[in-house]
Amino acid sequence: MNRTRWIFVGIVVAALIIVGVSLALGGLGSDGGGSASPDGGESITVGRPNAITVRVIAALPIETWVRNAAAAYNATAPKIEGVPVSVEIDAMDGLTALGRWDRNTFGALEAGVDPETLDAAARAALEDFPTAWIPESRYLVELANASYKERLGRDVFLTDGEYRARPIATSLLTWGLYQSRAEVLQAKYGQISWDTIHDAATARGGWPELGGDPGWGYFKLVVPNPSKNVAGLHAMIAAAGEYYERPDISVADVTTPAFQAWLKELMGAVTDFSSASAYTAEDFALFGYSVGDGGQLLEADLLLNMQGILTRWDDPIDLYYPRYVTWFDFPFSVWVGPETSALEKNAALDFQRYLLSDEQQQAGLAYGLRPANPRVPLDAVPGSLFTQWQERGVEAVIPRSDAMRNPDREVLLALLRWFELNVAE
Amino acid sequence: MSISTNSPLNLPPDPTVQRRQRRLAAMLIGIGLLCVVAGAALRGGRLALDWLSERLDRDGAPAIGTGAPPVDLTIAVSPAMKPAFDQLVLTFNDRATGGTLPIRTLELSPDRMVEESLQAAPTFQALAPDSSLWFHELEQRWAEAVGEADEASVIPIANRRTGTPVRFAVSPIVVVAWESVARDLGWPFEPLGWQEIQRKATRDPAFKWNHPSTNHASGLLATLAEFYAGAGLTRGLTEAAATAPSTLEYVRAVEATVRFYGEGEAVILERLRSEGRAFLDAFVAQEQVVIAWNQSRPTERLVAIYPAEGTLWADHPLALLELDTISEAQRRTYQDFVAFLTGEEAQRTLLAAGYRPADLAVPLDETGSPFAASPSADQDAVDSRQPQTTLQMPSQQVVQVVRNVWWYTKRPTNVFLVVDTSGSMDDGAKMERTKEALLAFLENIRGDRDQVGLVEFGTEVKRVEPLRPLTDQGREQFRGVIRGLQPRGNTALLDAVWEAHQQIVSTGDPEAINAIVVMTDGLENASDRTTMDLQRAFGNSEAQRIVVFTIGFGSDADVRLLQQIAVLGGGQFRRADETDIEELYRVISTYF
Repeated sequence: MNRTRWIFVGIVVAALIIVGVSLALGGLGSDGGGSASPDGGESITVGRPNAITVRVIAALPIETWVRNAAAAYNATAPKIEGVPVSVEIDAMDGLTALGRWDRNTFGALEAGVDPETLDAAARAALEDFPTAWIPESRYLVELANASYKERLGRDVFLTDGEYRARPIATSLLTWGLYQSRAEVLQAKYGQISWDTIHDAATARGGWPELGGDPGWGYFKLVVPNPSKNVAGLHAMIAAAGEYYERPDISVADVTTPAFQAWLKELMGAVTDFSSASAYTAEDFALFGYSVGDGGQLLEADLLLNMQGILTRWDDPIDLYYPRYVTWFDFPFSVWVGPETSALEKNAALDFQRYLLSDEQQQAGLAYGLRPANPRVPLDAVPGSLFTQWQERGVEAVIPRSDAMRNPDREVLLALLRWFELNVAE
Repeated sequence: MSISTNSPLNLPPDPTVQRRQRRLAAMLIGIGLLCVVAGAALRGGRLALDWLSERLDRDGAPAIGTGAPPVDLTIAVSPAMKPAFDQLVLTFNDRATGGTLPIRTLELSPDRMVEESLQAAPTFQALAPDSSLWFHELEQRWAEAVGEADEASVIPIANRRTGTPVRFAVSPIVVVAWESVARDLGWPFEPLGWQEIQRKATRDPAFKWNHPSTNHASGLLATLAEFYAGAGLTRGLTEAAATAPSTLEYVRAVEATVRFYGEGEAVILERLRSEGRAFLDAFVAQEQVVIAWNQSRPTERLVAIYPAEGTLWADHPLALLELDTISEAQRRTYQDFVAFLTGEEAQRTLLAAGYRPADLAVPLDETGSPFAASPSADQDAVDSRQPQTTLQMPSQQVVQVVRNVWWYTKRPTNVFLVVDTSGSMDDGAKMERTKEALLAFLENIRGDRDQVGLVEFGTEVKRVEPLRPLTDQGREQFRGVIRGLQPRGNTALLDAVWEAHQQIVSTGDPEAINAIVVMTDGLENASDRTTMDLQRAFGNSEAQRIVVFTIGFGSDADVRLLQQIAVLGGGQFRRADETDIEELYRVISTYF
């Protein structure tokens, strides 16, 4: 064979080697973070995966409803652009979630990082990234946005447009007191208010001094632990609203010594913050009047546990609506960063629409949640807790109240630190 | 027709050239095949690795090459709950389907759970102490250990060691008394509280009561109740009030009446079964103990006294530790177990065992429930509408102060360690494990009025270290003695116990808890004294009441003799091996 032929053969061999090695490396590189796609090796942002999972962080008061809705949704074998979808729920208190967004423990990418340039491990880490968040209140979304705006220069949850946060249900903080105790307080003070509760809390002689049974001990207030349940923080803000007789509270208000002394006396009537779980109304029902005579809790939680209270304890709980009310609107907020794909975002929106459907909104009534969908009235279904517990004081229209305005980050931090220093410790 | 264009002369092809061409073609095909095979092999290998990785991940491996995948989920359980918990775990494991790991339980006192949970690699992945207050302590210490958030503006929440706890049963802490004793005190017509029990104990020397050590929720509550009573409060206990001289004096007087401290409900039930009515007159425990005892149809039932000043609840939470090493399979198993534990079947099992189920849909007063009214009794032993009120749980700092100050108020202890250092203790790591166990015991004796002595024996009593207070110097000297123990000789067990008994009698201190802790791994074969001698000696020292705990170390120990000695001293016999001797000495130390 002459030289030309050798050169020809060499070129053919080299070409074959290149093709072979490319094929092999292609195989190695097809492993990816994010969703696997049918043709293998596509990125999380442009790929077309076999299936997608929508991970939703849900606030505690709506956990059971949303979890059951997710199960019902998954059972319909939903698809987005032909891709099967499943929804997973992770229950988390709003402040806890906010703390995690603040610390970025979910692992959002730094500004300018393209997910397609990530290595396999980094992509795999993004697989658990939340697709959507349903906190208790819209202002928590705004606080998370503020935190990321500093870091990334943009919002991560949109407040307008297609992906804007939409409320999926509402509830509000109400007074819940054991009937026997409420009757004694009303006989002595008239109405149930933070002032009444403060006076009861500071009665040195306890219930005998208030006109109650000596066996009841001292007056015991129930307020959720703010480090486990955002409603605890809001109860303190509501107390401040009543103390100052206005719905907007500033840092100056919560750091005023006279107010702090008043609040400390009030919080001194809480029996045990250390053992309180995130599900305060459930604790209230489980331990009955032995741990709390009454307190300000979420209406939905109280309604949901009403039957348990009646089953376990002799005394029913009655509801009273405060002068300054705190509303939770549970906004369904879709993460808009590059950590989740467009398909995942669209699937999250599809689940949001499912939650807002008449059927699911009616299902929410059985969990004591007020529908966000205006087509669904509170008595839409026979199992509505609003119908069942009417005689316990639940009302469809909230009487003569002012809605507390959402606190800003500084007020939140000031109250949290005060609580840690003066009550928790 | 065949036409060749290779040669203008139409010559037949050169066979050499033909061979070369064939070889070249074969070579080219071979190389091509090689490349394709290599590519396919690489891709196939990769696919196999992917499959293996996916499978291991599903089965619980953290990652390929990082060690063997976890084969189970280990849950640390408080001793009081362990029997009921184990029953539920057994059912769960029996029904486990593919992908669910078996669950293993590990009995630990709640304070030990907290300590271990703070370590980098605890021996368990989930924990179920008897009260949420232990989680509070754990999270506070964890926050201190990992430091606060570096930014002042960051929400100071979400940095936790455990996931959200789930409660699966509750039981109030009560004063448990024999019905006759309770009626003498005024039950069920008079409201009874901590103060009545404490008053009775201080006025009536024959009244025998106890509460567990502060390592258990029931012991901690009883101690807090004493401090509250001493300070004249029912809420708002502060550090200053807890450490006021008048409070300490009151607590010391009450603690002087406690027969012994020790473990929680599980051991109490065991002792009730073995000692019956001769056991204490009253003790502090979970309400569940009353039900469990009364279910055994005893000659005299126990009743629950719900303290009028208030009580606390053992609320039995379960939580998963937030560890990086926990696999997906372990998480899934935990979630499945939680669903099982809070499901109706498990909740009814817990109700049958005497606990109040966490599921509020399970009524307490339905027919067959241990809380249902009994038609044969004028007054039920337990009352599901009680307690009416609870004591306020002070802050973690105050609780810690109470636990620390308690060491200065508790009943003083004179305890002799009787240690076998015969030749057989040279086997394996017996001697080393024993030394570690004795040192651990020493660390747990912290009362300022406590004294410890030691009798070392082999063929004869080799050494007697007299009782000495555990000051810094005394403690260090004692550690030196323990480290210097050498195995040799036979087993003069009875002589050694006799010697320890004589030593304690010579102190003449009936106000203290006087005790002997005996450990041997063999058979008595060298003593001059007999069990009859010991019996006489213990009979003569009844006024001083010396309690004896005996430990049979390994499988060759003289169990019968050790049981006999424990009975003589009104104490307990326990078995141990090299793996748990340290824990056993630690447990025994809680009695003092």
